[in-house]
Amino acid sequence: MSMIVVKNLKKSFGDNNVLDGVSFSVEKGETVAVIGPSGSGKSTMLRCLINLEQAESGTIIIEDAPLLVDGKYVNEKDARLACMKMGMVFQNFNLFPHLTVMGNLTCAPLELRKMTKSEAEKRAKELLKKVGLSEKADDYPSMLSGGQKQRVAIARALMMDPEMLLFDEPTSSLDPQLTAEVLAVMRQLAQDRMTMIVVTHEMGFAREVADKILFMCDREIIGEGTPKDIFENPEDLRIKEFIDSILK
Amino acid sequence: MTQFFKTAYLLTDGIKYTLIIFFVTIILSMPLGFLLTLARNSKIKVIRYLTATYVWIMRGSPLMLQLFFFLYGLTFIPVINKFLVMDRLTAALVAFVLNYAAYFCGIFRGGLLAVDPGQYEAAKVLGLGKIRTFVKIVMPQMIRVALPAISNECITLVKDTALVTAIGLTELMYFAKTAANNQVSALPYLVAAVFYLLMNLVLERLFAYLEKKYSFTKNTVPAQERPKLFGGRQKV
Repeated sequence: MSMIVVKNLKKSFGDNNVLDGVSFSVEKGETVAVIGPSGSGKSTMLRCLINLEQAESGTIIIEDAPLLVDGKYVNEKDARLACMKMGMVFQNFNLFPHLTVMGNLTCAPLELRKMTKSEAEKRAKELLKKVGLSEKADDYPSMLSGGQKQRVAIARALMMDPEMLLFDEPTSSLDPQLTAEVLAVMRQLAQDRMTMIVVTHEMGFAREVADKILFMCDREIIGEGTPKDIFENPEDLRIKEFIDSILK
Repeated sequence: MTQFFKTAYLLTDGIKYTLIIFFVTIILSMPLGFLLTLARNSKIKVIRYLTATYVWIMRGSPLMLQLFFFLYGLTFIPVINKFLVMDRLTAALVAFVLNYAAYFCGIFRGGLLAVDPGQYEAAKVLGLGKIRTFVKIVMPQMIRVALPAISNECITLVKDTALVTAIGLTELMYFAKTAANNQVSALPYLVAAVFYLLMNLVLERLFAYLEKKYSFTKNTVPAQERPKLFGGRQKV
């Protein structure tokens, strides 16, 4: 069963067309990397999936819950329920600076009464262990490195038990060493068969970890396939040029 | 020195009004200013403009003028004027609260603008609704940013209370002036200055404590090293 189905998604900011009929689907347990040149609409596409941007037309169905059907959004409550199946990790982490690491993790589950305090703290500790930050539970975000912040953000997203995780350039504001520690966590998640859509410029990660690659260029998906298809036998000249320019 | 304390004793009566005006203004103008901030950011254009106009008028004209306006000015309005007659203290409180609310509106607005839009997005993708996001995520950050400006405003308020002497309220400054005339000496003014300075010292320490408390940097510090309201520098 498909985890997410996107059909003919269109979006513009005023006169500026950013998505021009994007269609794809992601299967449960798949890791999908979205790559392509800057300004091709990758991030906007991802933000449309979780309702941070509104598309003008198209269809988005998350598992069995529709968010957008033929250009019409479902009501606010259903939209929220559909989006709750997903977690999102941002380029700038967006941790809550006034809460400790523990507070960041437990805030939403407690506010939404998804868990009791002791359940939430227990789960938070497990997840912090998983991302290798057990000893940081009482620290504030300002005391963490970028890589640690991003790992906390991943743990925070996992607290809500999402079916799928969306990553919007999760390592673009990190130096190579910190990038590696975040990618290691993501690699682990891929091995655990978490469904993930990762917008990234990390070609190594896309090539090694992704099951499928979507190549976006000029507001469309112009290539879709396994890393081997995309990196070794690109059909479109634009993909070949992009990959050549990166590998240089 | 005995003269100093005698004078200080004489002036304590005046402190009553100073404190009443200070506390009532703080307690009422902050929430009102907060509501104004929300109105200032309303989706409805008319409300936004009305709030902006209100803030412009209250910040743009002297508080002294507003004091006279609420005490005397309103009584010249035909028909409804009999409902608008206030005693001196009420008029002073109304003027102070409405005036300071306009300033607090500006201060909170600044704090609100300082909150990173990414915070709203992070809260949204975690499933937090608008109200929860505002109360749990945005407000604490907004207050943190606004604290230094709030502190400034509170200190100004302590000194502004002296203005009500102009509409005949017998607060600290009034007593100081009367005592100075009676004693033919400047000592009462010095005593009054000491009173104002002491009140502001308390405020300065309070806000220094709050700023430290809301700095969002340390939590792992042992209890005895956490900031204290007074005497924070002493080792326990």
